[in-house]
Amino acid sequence: MNIGQSFKMAFKSIFTNKVRSILTMLGIIIGVAAVIIMVSIVEGSNKQIRDYYESMGTNKINVYAYKWSGEDVTDELYEYCLSLDELVLGVTPNAYYWGGSIRYKTVSTDKMEYGGPQVYMGSDQFSLCNNFEIEIGRDISYLDVKNYNQVIVLGARLKEFLFPYRDPIGEVVTIGEYPFTVIGVYEAKDPNSTWSMDNMAVVPYTMVRLLNKTNRIEEFVVKARSKKDTTEAITRLTGFLSGLIDENSGYFSVNSQNQWMEQDEKATRIMSLVLGGIAGISLLVGGIGIMNIMLVTVKERTREIGIRKAIGGSRKSIIIQFLIESSVICAIGGILGVTVGYLGTLVAGKLIMDIVLTPSVTMTIGAVAFSVVLGIGFGMYPAIKASGLQPVEALRAE
Amino acid sequence: MKLIELDNIFKIYNEDMENEVRALNGVSLIIDKGEFVAIIGPSGSGKSTLMNIIGCLDLPTYGDYFLNGQLVSDMDDGELSKIRNREVGFIFQSFNLIPALSAYENVELPLIYQGVRGDKREEMVFEALEKLGIEDRAYHRPTEMSGGQQQRVAIARAIVTRAPIILADEPTGALDSKTGETVLEILHGLHREGTTIILITHDSRIASTAERIIRISDGVIVQDCPREEAEL
Repeated sequence: MNIGQSFKMAFKSIFTNKVRSILTMLGIIIGVAAVIIMVSIVEGSNKQIRDYYESMGTNKINVYAYKWSGEDVTDELYEYCLSLDELVLGVTPNAYYWGGSIRYKTVSTDKMEYGGPQVYMGSDQFSLCNNFEIEIGRDISYLDVKNYNQVIVLGARLKEFLFPYRDPIGEVVTIGEYPFTVIGVYEAKDPNSTWSMDNMAVVPYTMVRLLNKTNRIEEFVVKARSKKDTTEAITRLTGFLSGLIDENSGYFSVNSQNQWMEQDEKATRIMSLVLGGIAGISLLVGGIGIMNIMLVTVKERTREIGIRKAIGGSRKSIIIQFLIESSVICAIGGILGVTVGYLGTLVAGKLIMDIVLTPSVTMTIGAVAFSVVLGIGFGMYPAIKASGLQPVEALRAE
Repeated sequence: MKLIELDNIFKIYNEDMENEVRALNGVSLIIDKGEFVAIIGPSGSGKSTLMNIIGCLDLPTYGDYFLNGQLVSDMDDGELSKIRNREVGFIFQSFNLIPALSAYENVELPLIYQGVRGDKREEMVFEALEKLGIEDRAYHRPTEMSGGQQQRVAIARAIVTRAPIILADEPTGALDSKTGETVLEILHGLHREGTTIILITHDSRIASTAERIIRISDGVIVQDCPREEAEL
């Protein structure tokens, strides 16, 4: 008997027992859908984490150094960072102003609900290193830094607070007692969270003298060209700093966001394995359901098997018939499961993460293929059982 | 020409146990090509077991069975199913049609197992159905047909492969006497065309239409002679 006939026979038997077939498929449908939804959610949150780190800047190295003696290492460190230019896209000093609020006329950031903005002092490469893009106006320039210009670029959240629905360019805000002219606004990176990366502002790092009353800058941000260059730059910076500072004379650290990202990704990978495992178990239970039904089918159709054997059906043809039947049930179940899984993923993505989640194609194909394998696997025992019946005994069955 | 040769066949269930049953207890028998043989005997005499062994539905516990000179008792499943498919056509008392399939599909099944191609298959199926006058029932399911019609479908299935042997186990048992006569007439028609017919029955009136009568009792042959000499 050829395979085409066996398929015809399998479909016939599935459609003559519609309700039973659907109930059997249910296990597979739920299993496949569960796998797809769970894995998609994990992949989605993984992507969110990656996006978050990317918006902060990947391949970004934070270098931090100071000496107990108070001796200034700023210039040496800055120069060394700049000398890594074959590894590095940009370097910026990264000083903080801790002094207090920013005011525009009568509006003060003291009143901000979730705390005031972070004011950075950086170079013309600050936005490059920290993944900010100018939305309106212009960025800090080399000349601003060099000429001690009292200019400021605002983050989107801060702009919204100080200048709601207004063009802030050319306006003057006050930091401490010093006036700064607004020259630009950065695009929002992180519009959803309340403790936002966009609640910030940047002034030229040469303002450190004015605002912090010192020339010392303890932190730099280095943007490397690639993941590989990040590792290399970390090695070199660490080497350089250990020559400059030891445990007794001070403290230094060289960190990249990549490390944190990798750690977070590892955590979600573990979660994806656990959830995938749980979903896999439900698929397994579905498979056992198939085996159960196929066994019942064998029992119910013992006489038919006897008749088939009496008119020339061999063991092999009976095995093939039952295997095809169970794999077709599983394959149809798998395809329906994928459909349900896609819908479920869309709904879950919207509800949980408020994004459009789509399952990966590889996983979809994998899920259907797995359910066919399941059908063959769990169909095997009933099929062998069916084929092993003696024709006389099978014919005697009621 | 010897078609079927049974040599001291035993069929024993639960051998050497308390509830041992000897369905066949040393049966030797030769049937030539083209014979019309009736095997008669009371129920439980072993006549069905004998038919199952002749039809390769069952294997003997002891003894040799030659079909066309080939030793059947040594064959594996594949070879046995080939013999059931090509050499033997079965007709059962309870028809044994597959309820989910139409008459056409039931008759087609042995040809599918034989690997006959689609268009050729259709031709052969209709030839068999027409021969039995039920081509108009081709697309009906067994449940939509009368007993006589179902038995005719079953006969069509038995002859569709042009098997040289027809084994009929009480073919008229579930039919009224008039339909039974028609079925018997069909069997005689096949016999005239050269098919070897082995008929199992407990009805001496039906047996009396055969050329040769074999009476079996308690698993042994007690009488084997031409109809004219048989005591019915």
